[in-house]
Amino acid sequence: MRILAVVVCVLALAPAGLPPYAMTLLTEALILGLFAMSLDLMVGYTRLLSFGHAAAYGLGAYAAGNLLLHTSIPLVFTILLAALCSGVVAIGVAWVCTLASGVSFSMLTLAFAQLLYAVAFKWTAVTGASDGLAGIPRSPGPFGITFFEGRAGFYYLVLACLVAAFIFCRSLVRSPFGAVLRGIRENEAKTLSLGYNTRRYKIAVVAISFTLGGLAGALYAPFAGFTNTELLFWLFSGQVLIMVIVGGTGTLIGPIIGAAFFMLVSNLLSSWTDSWALFFGAIFILFVLFAPQGIWGLATRWRSLSSTG
Amino acid sequence: MALLELDGLTRRFGGIVAVDGVTMRVAAGEVRAVIGPNGAGKSTLFNLITGVTTPTSGTVRFDEHALTGLSAYSVCQRGVSRTFQITALFPEMTARENVRLSAQARHARRWLPLGGRNVFADAETRADAALERLGLIHVAHRPAGLLSHGDQRLLEVAMALAQRPRLLLLDEPTQGLSVEETEQAVETLSALLADGSMTVLLVEHDMEVVFRLAHMITVLHRGAVIADGAPDEVRANEDVQRAYLGGLA
Repeated sequence: MRILAVVVCVLALAPAGLPPYAMTLLTEALILGLFAMSLDLMVGYTRLLSFGHAAAYGLGAYAAGNLLLHTSIPLVFTILLAALCSGVVAIGVAWVCTLASGVSFSMLTLAFAQLLYAVAFKWTAVTGASDGLAGIPRSPGPFGITFFEGRAGFYYLVLACLVAAFIFCRSLVRSPFGAVLRGIRENEAKTLSLGYNTRRYKIAVVAISFTLGGLAGALYAPFAGFTNTELLFWLFSGQVLIMVIVGGTGTLIGPIIGAAFFMLVSNLLSSWTDSWALFFGAIFILFVLFAPQGIWGLATRWRSLSSTG
Repeated sequence: MALLELDGLTRRFGGIVAVDGVTMRVAAGEVRAVIGPNGAGKSTLFNLITGVTTPTSGTVRFDEHALTGLSAYSVCQRGVSRTFQITALFPEMTARENVRLSAQARHARRWLPLGGRNVFADAETRADAALERLGLIHVAHRPAGLLSHGDQRLLEVAMALAQRPRLLLLDEPTQGLSVEETEQAVETLSALLADGSMTVLLVEHDMEVVFRLAHMITVLHRGAVIADGAPDEVRANEDVQRAYLGGLA
């Protein structure tokens, strides 16, 4: 908890010392961190492998984009509404996807995300089709507050969302509900036979995961000022899964680090070569082979080794 | 009035009749064993009672309410807890966490998404009591996957016990145990059942175990009941002897 406070303080001081370009990167890294953390609830804590988590992000982004373009609801409320929108859709999706389990579940999540991707291409009135939504504003308010419109203000909004979501997730996984998720992760049939309606728990965790993933997407729309169909594409679902695995599944903090790592490395590599994805793929394979516990797993193991002597 | 009533319970898998018109009563406070040769339908019978498998025909009634058609979790919520023939645990959790999760399932606020310190405290009290009764308290802090096979079998019983079930179903509790481990397990179980407060339905292969634990015995052969009664009657029954010794043609 003390380390968390220190990290948050350092991040809060960032706007004072970093150049605008770095602030933009950092803001995006935090948004992606929130997105990856939301997926960790499913992948790391419940062993529900989703290949379609971009759906959560895209739903949040398009919902926020439309609200900001067509209404005058303040930015702060808009992102919450858009997140809820993603969560509500997720209940229906999860109801269908949890009819299956294992690989079939993963395939259904992928199919659903690709369905949304196809819809986004055709439903021009809402999604702007292949052009996407452009010129998304950061609406002021409430009470005429314009603080969140600036670069630093928006950064603080993102940071506040991430910290709040992290504290929420950490309480969630340590709660009785979280204990049941852990049971599902280790032995679902046994959890069912103990008297838990496991399907209902799975639907609930998908809805929570989509709400937080939707929050990340809802922050992205006014951050970038535009949305496009790539936010719903399977490639993005794969990338966020890589962020979670490289960072460390089932740790919450790991996926945030994984997202930052992904941003950093892909930025460095892409300024050097066009085929950066190839190199990142190699890094991913190395992690899966030699450090399946991820960056955070390595860090905690190193810490416990050095403290025991 | 019997606590558990099975009437004409039948389950077919394709052309095979796994359970064939089983009618059986288990009275409250009774320890009843279901025995029979391999493939007699004992485990299928358990799965039919606990809602894992739906019967082709027939009914299951528990405390005068139908269980037929209910899902596995609702059957458990009505007070029927079970163990599995093949050990089913949460291997990465400690023994205490295993039992605690089981006890938590009986708590009204078992689903609480935030906080829940009270839920955990209540569940842990019950978990420790169950671990104590099965002599597992000294391994409570160890991951369940690292316990000896004998302790794992008993841990499953502790998990079922922590739910304070009205009916306890034990599927071959000594399955895969060595002679010494079996001896120890039978002693622990008979001490557990000695006060007669529990209703137990037991599937067991080991006749020695059955005769030491059960008050009543039901014998299954090819899915059907061929004998039902006190241990001495069943032991003397000619059909049973033939089923076990030479096969019933």
